[in-house]
Amino acid sequence: MPADTSEHTDGEKLPEVVAGPDADRAAPRRLGITFWVAIGWVALVTGAAIAAPLLPIADPDEIGIGPRASGPNWDQWFGTDTVGRDMFSRTIWGARVSLMVGFFSIVAGFLVGGMMGVVSGYRRGWTDLVLGFVTYIMLSFPTLVLFLLVILLFGQGLWTVTAALSIVVIPSVSRLARAITIAFAEREFVAAARLLGATNRRVMVREILPNVLIPMSALLLLGLGLTIVAEGGLAFLGLSVADGFSWGKMIQLGAGLRTLQTAPWVAFFPIGAMFLTVLSLNLAGDQLRQYFDVRELGIGGR
Amino acid sequence: MTYLMRRLAFMFGVLVAVTFLAFSATNVIGDPLFNVVGFYASIDCDAVIAGEMEDVIGTVAGTGIGECERVIEAREKYHLDDSLPVRYGRWIVGMAQGDFGESYANQMPVSSILAERLPKSMLLMGVSMVVALGVSIPWGVAAAYRANQRFDRASTAGAFGLLSIPGFALAIILFYFFVVRWQIFPSRYMDDNIFSRLHSLVLPAASLGLPLAVVYQRLLRTDLITTLQEDFVITAKAKGLSDRRIMFRHVLRPSMFGMITVVGLNMSALIGGTIIIESIFSIPGFGRELYVSAIRDDITVVLAGVTVLATAFVVINTVVDLLYSYLDPRVRRAG
Repeated sequence: MPADTSEHTDGEKLPEVVAGPDADRAAPRRLGITFWVAIGWVALVTGAAIAAPLLPIADPDEIGIGPRASGPNWDQWFGTDTVGRDMFSRTIWGARVSLMVGFFSIVAGFLVGGMMGVVSGYRRGWTDLVLGFVTYIMLSFPTLVLFLLVILLFGQGLWTVTAALSIVVIPSVSRLARAITIAFAEREFVAAARLLGATNRRVMVREILPNVLIPMSALLLLGLGLTIVAEGGLAFLGLSVADGFSWGKMIQLGAGLRTLQTAPWVAFFPIGAMFLTVLSLNLAGDQLRQYFDVRELGIGGR
Repeated sequence: MTYLMRRLAFMFGVLVAVTFLAFSATNVIGDPLFNVVGFYASIDCDAVIAGEMEDVIGTVAGTGIGECERVIEAREKYHLDDSLPVRYGRWIVGMAQGDFGESYANQMPVSSILAERLPKSMLLMGVSMVVALGVSIPWGVAAAYRANQRFDRASTAGAFGLLSIPGFALAIILFYFFVVRWQIFPSRYMDDNIFSRLHSLVLPAASLGLPLAVVYQRLLRTDLITTLQEDFVITAKAKGLSDRRIMFRHVLRPSMFGMITVVGLNMSALIGGTIIIESIFSIPGFGRELYVSAIRDDITVVLAGVTVLATAFVVINTVVDLLYSYLDPRVRRAG
């Protein structure tokens, strides 16, 4: 049995200790107004990001489109940066890389991690031990060093960065999926399927996987917030996608001492955009999580 | 095999796997020779010295021999002709004996680089932890004491807001107001005495500690609420104990499991965070050194860093498990 700490939170030995967060209040069975406002904001940002080339906004890379380092005004709603690029247009274009990398990495992380967790929770024994070992290695490898190694090995392409980010998501998702699988593997419908002669693979894919993935998909929004922030941190260190720019890159460009003194809005508009988006994802994700009543995902990293 | 033995074997296996992965990856990425002898690393120096190859880089024959002798020298010094597993074995044995090798970039012993950089980062992490726990424990207790009432609702909203600000963005916001606008804190790291150090660390520690404090407060609050519904709380109340004593003496202790686990798991995230925070506040710490070394392919320093961090992570998680058994004797019996 892998000697990791999750052993104590699986609810096998000490069910009382993990009665679970929010066990005290009944989950409301409807999604409130907050949820729809938050989803609306996410949809707005996503739509703007996708439609950025079609929108009647300035070229985000054109230098000197306005005066240098001028504050927000009627012509440039978010002001201009120190070389006179339009910050409003840049904020919209910056969303593209941020959202794309965040979205694909969390989806990939959920698929791979979910699969690992289901297999490990259903088969137990040696499979569980080996997968637990792999998960633990992924957890104990310093995150940023992992990024650096992947990026130095495979370059700073969009898909490389996405894959590197998803590696960080996998262990947490896998542990959660494993815990949920263990809970379901004992249930009657699984026993029934096995008595009817279903193969292990069929039981895992047809019986258990839907029960694990559907509640966990509620956590996708929360996870998306985390990967967007993680991409921002990478971009801030100059380690994210080399072509184009994301919010994190914009924040880095605005974070120099001199720029903060003369044109603080260069850093603050992308920070604001990222904050509102992540806040919306957190609010919507939390509502959804309560709706489906799943335990909190323990991705602590940021 | 006893539980403890299995546990130790597992830990050992994880460490070997992590260091081997890191060792192989770094050796694939960077040619260690390149850092030492530069361009000549890519030339077939055996042929040059044997006189088989005359024109090395389009210069007059024979000029490259001096450099090529340095290449051979460096190869022998760093044992670069051996196979990967052999080099890994030599390196890990050296590490176990406290020999971390020397930096390829400036030939300084890695152990002295670590000795200089680690304490600064440890101080930063320590202060951040103090901020995180110092904020989250009273906050969590206050929120759980009157759960779902006015203070709790306000603090939930506040927690959501704080949780949605990335650590590096929080650092820039704090930097802008406290350094650029109000000039309360220095913009560079002041290393004169312990007071100036702590003074320079207030903002970095707040940027690292506050997001963690929110996570811990949420966990502690829910666990406290669960514990408050247990029968022994009613017993304690019936005995006439004060609310404060019940909260801090009887309820807090059994409610700290979730938080302690996450504190342990968070350590690596905290270390990752120091890399960004140290560069924003220009603190010459371990995280910053690790980042710079990785960028310039200084393999020995990166490897030493990975080993130190992975060991710390594994050890901390073991300590967390031991803490479990201290806080809840049932774990001891079950194990």
